[in-house]
Amino acid sequence: MINNELIRLHFRSICTAGDMTAYDELYRLLYSKLVHFSAAIVGSFHLAEEIVSDVFIIIWQKRQELAAVENPVVYIYVSTRNRSLNALQQQKRHRYTSLELLDTDALAMSPDPEHSMISVEIIQKIEMAIRSLPDRCQLIFRLVKQDGLRYKDVAELLDISPKTVDAQLAIAVKKVAAAIRLDMPLELAQAFLFH
Amino acid sequence: MTHDRIWYLLGRKMANELLPEEKRELERLLQQHPDVSYAKEVLTQSWKDKQKDLSPADVEAALQRHKQRLLEVQTPEETTMPAKGSNKIFRLALRIGGVAAAVTVLFLAGRMWLGEREAQLQPALQQLVTKTGSRTHVKLPDGTSVWLNAGSKLDYPEKFHGKNREVTLEGEAFFEVLRDADHPFLVKTTACSIRVLGTSFNVRFYPVEEMATTSLVTGSVEVTIDKKVVRLQPNEKLSVPWVLTNLATTTANTAPEMPVIKMGTLTPVRDNIMAETAWKDNKLAFKKLPLDEVAQRMERWYGAEIRFKNERKKSLSFSGVFEKESLTEALQALEMSGGFHFTKDNDNIYWIE
Repeated sequence: MINNELIRLHFRSICTAGDMTAYDELYRLLYSKLVHFSAAIVGSFHLAEEIVSDVFIIIWQKRQELAAVENPVVYIYVSTRNRSLNALQQQKRHRYTSLELLDTDALAMSPDPEHSMISVEIIQKIEMAIRSLPDRCQLIFRLVKQDGLRYKDVAELLDISPKTVDAQLAIAVKKVAAAIRLDMPLELAQAFLFH
Repeated sequence: MTHDRIWYLLGRKMANELLPEEKRELERLLQQHPDVSYAKEVLTQSWKDKQKDLSPADVEAALQRHKQRLLEVQTPEETTMPAKGSNKIFRLALRIGGVAAAVTVLFLAGRMWLGEREAQLQPALQQLVTKTGSRTHVKLPDGTSVWLNAGSKLDYPEKFHGKNREVTLEGEAFFEVLRDADHPFLVKTTACSIRVLGTSFNVRFYPVEEMATTSLVTGSVEVTIDKKVVRLQPNEKLSVPWVLTNLATTTANTAPEMPVIKMGTLTPVRDNIMAETAWKDNKLAFKKLPLDEVAQRMERWYGAEIRFKNERKKSLSFSGVFEKESLTEALQALEMSGGFHFTKDNDNIYWIE
C-alpha cells in the first residue's frame, strides 16, 4: 500500500492541478504492472503498451472530470481491462473476449534468485506450480503479489466477490508452498526446526 | 489439517490484509509448522517478472514514447493525421501478429502458416518454450505428459477438440501419451508428423541438426513423412534427414524457407535408445557422436558457447553420459579420452583445439 497511496496522491494532483510531474510519476509507477495485465488479455506486449498509453492519454484529456473518481487504482485497471478486451474483440478471429482465457506467459513471475536462497531448480518448480493453476487464479495471484492490489480492488476489477479472491489466493499459495516444501533442503528444514 | 487455514492467512499476509488477530494466529501457526515459514519467506519477498522484466530505463523509454503520442494528440495539425492513419494500420498488423505469435514463432512462421490452416482456426494455443540450459515438464489438457528438452518449443491447445489431439513441436520432447483410441495423438514437426494412440516416445527435431528422429519406448507409433507412413516397434528409432534450403532468390527476401525432405535413408534402426531418452531423467547422453554434434548438444544442455579453433577435431567421435557434472567437468572427461584440448576464455566461451 504505500504504492497505492502514492497512486492516489499523484492522481489527485493531476486532476486538480494538471501536474505533469505527477503524471509522469504515475506512469512510471504503473507502466510495468498495466502492460503485463493488458498483455495477458491481448497476448502482445506491443499492443499492450499502446493500450496503456491510450489509457494515460484519456487520463490527461479528461483529468478535470476524473477528479470525482473515488478509487484511482481501480479506475485505471478497469480502463486498461476494458480497452484490452475491446482490442481483443476487434481481432475478429478471437472467439473469447473475456478474462477466462489469458496469455499466462505474460503473468509469469518467480522469486528472484539474486535476492533469495532459493535454487534455480526450486524456482522452476514454483513456476510450474503457478502455471498449473487456472488462468484466472494466476491473474489474481499476480494482481495481489506483483501489483499490490487490495482484495476489494481485485474483486471489483474482476467482478467477483472478495471471498472468491481470498479463496483463489489460498489455492495459489497452497500450490506454491507445496512446490517449495517438496524441495526444502534437509539442512534448511532442520534450521527451521531448531530455530 | 490446519494447513488450509495457514494458506488462507498467508494469502492475506501477501495482500497486506491481515487483521491484528489474524496476524497473531498466523504467527502461532507458523511456530507449530516451521516448514511453512520457508514458504512464507519466499511468498513475501519481491518477485520478478519472467516475460518482460522491465528496468527503470525501459520504463523511462516507454514514458518518452507515450509523451510523444500525447503531444501528437494534443496539437492536432495536418501532419499528425497521416501519421495517425498509418498508426492504425500498424496497429492492425500488430493485432493480427499477436494471433500469429500464439500459433507460430520465428523459424517456423512462414511454413506453418501456409501448411496448417486448421491450426489457425483453433484459438487459444498455449506455447511452452525452454531456453538453452533448461528443461521442463508439462501435463497437457488430456493428461498426456510431455518433457521438453532445452531450446525447444511446444504448441498445444488450451483444450483439445476435434478428432485428433494435435501438438506442434520444434526441438526435442518425450511424450507419454494417455490412451484414447477415439482421439489419436498427433505430433507435428516441419519434417514429419507422428500419430499415436497411447504410448511413450521421443521426438527430436532441431532444425539446425538437419535430422528428425523419432524413438519409440513402448506401444506403437506411425510416422508420416511426405505421405509415406512408417510404423515403429518398441526400441526402434527412425531418423529422417531434413535439408533446409532458402528459396528466397528471385522474389522478396522475406519468402519463407521451404523444407526439402530427402527420403534416402528412411530405415528404422534397431538400437539401444537409452541415449535418446536419458535427457528426460536429467542425463546428457550420446553414443558415438561426432564432436561438433556433441558440442552442439552441450551448448544447448548447459546454455553455453563452444567453438572450434581446429576444424578437424569436429569429426572425432565420442560417447558419454553426464548427470551432475558441470560443462567444464564434462569436457575434461572427454578430453581425457583423448584427441583434443579445450580452453575457456574470459567471455566464458569454450574453445576446442
